[in-house]
Amino acid sequence: MAAENGHTAKEVLAIRRADGESRTLAASLPRLVLEARRIAANVIHGLHGRRRAGSGENFWQYRRFVSGEPSQNVDWRRSARDDHLYVRELEWEASHTVWIWPDRSPSMAFASKTARESKLERTLIVAFALAELLVSGGERVGIPGLMAPTASRSVIDKMAQAMLHDDADRLSLPPSFVPAALAETIVLSDFWSPISEIRTTLAGLSGSGAHGTLVQVVDPAEESFPYSGRVEFVEPEGFGVITAGRAESWAQDYTTRLALHRDQIRAETKKLDWLFTTHATDRSAAELLLFLHAGMQVSKSGARTTTIKAGPAA
Amino acid sequence: MMGLPLAFTEPLLLIGLVSLPVLWWLLRVMPPRPRRIEFPPTRLLFDIAPREETPSRTPWWLTALRLLAAALVIFAAAGPIWNPQTGLAGSKAPLMIMFDDGWSAASHWDVRIRAADELIANADNDRRAIALVPLSEPNRDITLMPAGAARVALRQLAPKPYSIDRVDTLAAVDRFLKATGDCEIAWLSDGVDTGRGEEFVAGLGKTIGERSLTIFEGGTSSPLALVAAENAAARMTVKVLRTDSGIAVGTVRALDQKASPIGEARFSFGPQDKETDAAFDLPVELRNDINRLEISGERSAGAVQLLDKRWRRRAIGIVSGSTSETAQPLLAPTFYLTRALAPFADVRLADKGSPQQGITQFLDQKLPMIILADVGTIAPELRERINAWIDQGGVLVRFAGPRLAQAEDDLVPVKLRKGGRTLGGSLTWEKPQHLATFAADGPFAGVAVPKDVTVSRQVLAEPDAVLATRSWASLEDGTPLVTGEHRGKGLVSLFHVSADMRWSDLPMSGTFVEMLRRVVDMSGYTSKPGAGIAGEATTETVAPLHILDGFGAFGPPPATAKPLPADYRDRATSDHPPGFYGPAEGPLAVNTLASADRIAALNTASLRARHATYTNAEPRDLRGWLLSTALALFLIDALIVAVLGGGIAALLRRRAAPAMIVLGLLLTSLAPTPSRADGATDDFAMKATAQTRLAYVVTGNADVDSIVKAGMNGLTLFLAQRTALEAGDPVGIDPARDELAFFPLIYWPIVPGARKPPQDAINKIDAYMKQGGTVLFDTRDAIEAPPGANGAAQTPAMQTLREILSSLDVPELEPVPREHVLTKTFYLLRDFPGRFVTGQTWVETLPRDEDEDSAQRPARGGDGVSPIIITSNDLAGAWAVRPDGQAMLPVTGGDTRQREFAYRAGANIVMYTLTGNYKADQVHAPALIERLGQ
Repeated sequence: MAAENGHTAKEVLAIRRADGESRTLAASLPRLVLEARRIAANVIHGLHGRRRAGSGENFWQYRRFVSGEPSQNVDWRRSARDDHLYVRELEWEASHTVWIWPDRSPSMAFASKTARESKLERTLIVAFALAELLVSGGERVGIPGLMAPTASRSVIDKMAQAMLHDDADRLSLPPSFVPAALAETIVLSDFWSPISEIRTTLAGLSGSGAHGTLVQVVDPAEESFPYSGRVEFVEPEGFGVITAGRAESWAQDYTTRLALHRDQIRAETKKLDWLFTTHATDRSAAELLLFLHAGMQVSKSGARTTTIKAGPAA
Repeated sequence: MMGLPLAFTEPLLLIGLVSLPVLWWLLRVMPPRPRRIEFPPTRLLFDIAPREETPSRTPWWLTALRLLAAALVIFAAAGPIWNPQTGLAGSKAPLMIMFDDGWSAASHWDVRIRAADELIANADNDRRAIALVPLSEPNRDITLMPAGAARVALRQLAPKPYSIDRVDTLAAVDRFLKATGDCEIAWLSDGVDTGRGEEFVAGLGKTIGERSLTIFEGGTSSPLALVAAENAAARMTVKVLRTDSGIAVGTVRALDQKASPIGEARFSFGPQDKETDAAFDLPVELRNDINRLEISGERSAGAVQLLDKRWRRRAIGIVSGSTSETAQPLLAPTFYLTRALAPFADVRLADKGSPQQGITQFLDQKLPMIILADVGTIAPELRERINAWIDQGGVLVRFAGPRLAQAEDDLVPVKLRKGGRTLGGSLTWEKPQHLATFAADGPFAGVAVPKDVTVSRQVLAEPDAVLATRSWASLEDGTPLVTGEHRGKGLVSLFHVSADMRWSDLPMSGTFVEMLRRVVDMSGYTSKPGAGIAGEATTETVAPLHILDGFGAFGPPPATAKPLPADYRDRATSDHPPGFYGPAEGPLAVNTLASADRIAALNTASLRARHATYTNAEPRDLRGWLLSTALALFLIDALIVAVLGGGIAALLRRRAAPAMIVLGLLLTSLAPTPSRADGATDDFAMKATAQTRLAYVVTGNADVDSIVKAGMNGLTLFLAQRTALEAGDPVGIDPARDELAFFPLIYWPIVPGARKPPQDAINKIDAYMKQGGTVLFDTRDAIEAPPGANGAAQTPAMQTLREILSSLDVPELEPVPREHVLTKTFYLLRDFPGRFVTGQTWVETLPRDEDEDSAQRPARGGDGVSPIIITSNDLAGAWAVRPDGQAMLPVTGGDTRQREFAYRAGANIVMYTLTGNYKADQVHAPALIERLGQ
């Protein structure tokens, strides 16, 4: 229990820190927001009024005609009432739900000595920032099994509250649920679960044809295996212990095994036309955020042809 | 054990050392404990086929370290003892211990006692009787006693403060040996021969015959002694003696009567020297106060030299017959005499009055020497007194002159002709005479004869048979210049010239000083044997006052100390132990050693004896040392294992650089870093002046300081965005330490209950405010102020602020008026909100203009900038931003707007401090422009 409490404390701390950092990250990426708006404005019609002008059915506002616009946009009936030309705007209606799954299992709390922040913190930062961006871009964001999709402006607070009051087990992979066909799923995890579990989860998530992205967030130490000497490796989620007499001699095998594991996941995602990328915590969080946005743009425009990869593992 | 002074209480346990090889083998095969690391992808590792797990071997040196620790533990268990007690070989005969207990044994007394104790203990183990023979007591009966009684007797021994004569005890020893028969003898010698040493050694050899003798000597440093203290003209010297080349340097301390130190003098022996000098270069007044000289760190009576009045500088009374002293001091004889005598004697001039009264006064004071300069007739009664005084050792020196030439008395060494003799005058064909010779047997023998001294007048002696013997100095024509005669214990001397410049230029020459010194040396209270003691009757005896014990400490006189004659000059004896005798105001000093005494090493080579040395060290149990060393080794081992567990490779790869840096830092920090403070001050000044910077006072409260720092950062950023002021990073300052003059504005957050800054800091702040700086005090507590008209003044922070301001020269204050220039310097503001809005902002009261016109001006500023601004709105809290750009603290009102106004208030305040009343002048701009247009 003590270990569990320890993990809870770590998680609370990570959430607090991620709260601030993610806002900064989101605020520092106005381009992304613009991009997101542009993307969204291009594509999807939906059910949800977005409280802004766009393509839809309901009247939104009259605005002055701006020189250079096509003249068929002018609402002549309104313009006839005074000396100016007006354009009739409709409320933009679009609906797109994005499910973000930040893995909060104990293994995510791992941070090697050189790492600035733990995988959990990085995951939460990216999840919060992404949610903020999406919501400010008009999307709805939810966490599977934890938070219903919402378009609230204070989505970060909502997510943080939901996590803080979550007393369920911290699972590595999202619980099995079926997102709507148009929904987007983003799974941020370290994906150290056996490939069979990953395969099962993926099958569940993509059952309705929803699209998604898997992001493997890893610590630099998990890629480079910088250990030597006599080391006892402990799996933080209690899956066992193994002792290496000379850890340095294991590095080669480990790297090979890691590459295999990733290849397996990549193969799975490719089958479903999902995206898979890896992200090491020594890289900038903005990098991952950019990639995720780019990925969503591609997926929405339906023009995705190949798997786009970003990050150091690419 | 093998020549080492080492023994074991449980030697059998050393067999345990045999087990070390087994331990070696065990240690070799035991692998170190693995490091435990949480590693999320461990499940991937399960799939890697385990490689062959060779047990990693412990390095040989680590094993050796562990074995060493184990060996130390085994050694410690065996109970090793350093310097085990050694005793005389076990015969059953009684043991006679001869014990040197003179002053020379005092310096290492405890070592000797310990050695004797050991001998007694060993004899006790063998059940032998013991005779203890202190060599200072020839009359003591030597008896055999059991060890317990011997121990008690030993404890009662104390070193004698005088030199003992060992020979005297030989008779008693002889008697005892004859009575006892077989006997073993141990002589605890101090190795010093203070006279008759050889005699004793020869006598002892004869007395003991074939009996076994063990001589304990050596192993301790030679005792030191002080002799022949001398208060010479320029300095006090004392001789330091030793017997061998033990101690080479040391210090002699001079103490006064109250035992407070006056001075210290270092001495050092040459390689083979047996004696050396220590000299005190002190003023004569201080030297006269010296009561006792002692060698620092040497506890023995011989290392103490007591000084009495004989070592004082003499007091000399001068009586002049002439009357011109006061009118023309440079022509008075007393002037030359005083100047000539001052270097080596205390000169006393007669009080106003006749010469006769002066002489009487000096005789009453019992001065050892009186100089009469041209004193003519002396009343017969007085002459009697003077004669009696001379008989008792007084020294009378007379100088000739017109009055003496006319007078007639017997207080001159030779018979004088009446009237003076003039040389080189108009009525004489003789030229002024030069000094020719000093009598070889006189006191001036050896003084260089000056060539430039001429004598133009003198008084002449009647030539008679004794004139030649009494003449101490004579002129070229053979007439005496100085004559002298011993009378009784005293002396009468006459200079045949006057003591001023009228008759000769002798008083101006250096020879005069030397001649007077020689005469003074002949007066009383010298330490030379043979010279008389002035003012004391020969038959008088003096009682002991303070007596030195063997260790050189003063104590009350023992019953055995006898009075001694007042002219006692000899070394101390058992009857007359060293110390002070006589009246407390003028005691007589008796020293352990006379000035001519020397000490030598005792030569015992002619004796057939075993020689043993005193062991300085006590038996020491080594178990503690061994066990703690073993513990330290185990700790080192633990450290090494911790490091090795991580793998040496990892350590080298990852920690080498930091380790080198740490090592380098350590080394540089050990190296002296001169004038670092200056450099720091310069750095601070350069940093502060290179750019305009906002400053804030560091309160020492970490929370407040971090908020204020962030606040100043936020304001600086705001100013850079909105105004032309691109200030540097804000500086935290300590008003007590840092220079304030560089900063236009100092933000001072008040922490409730903070201590008032030291007065230095207050003064600096006062000067800063007077020179045009502005201090912005922020009590940050507007929200805590109790409601009511005077509520804001009652918060704890405001009380603290009042405390600080109480010692500052603060001008009259008022709430910022609407037309104050502070409200217009950059933004147009009504008030100055921070995190709170309710607080009032106070500035220096503006001068009230009676002028109708000015009262209507939209902006008013004083002549300068208000030196003080007080607010309670927590401005810095509102300005504070986190590194990520988010606001740090919430504000009370609407978030964005109030914060914006807080920033604006900050901008206005900074602009106000930078531009002063510039904006107030701007209100005239329209009028000026209008005028220009015309």
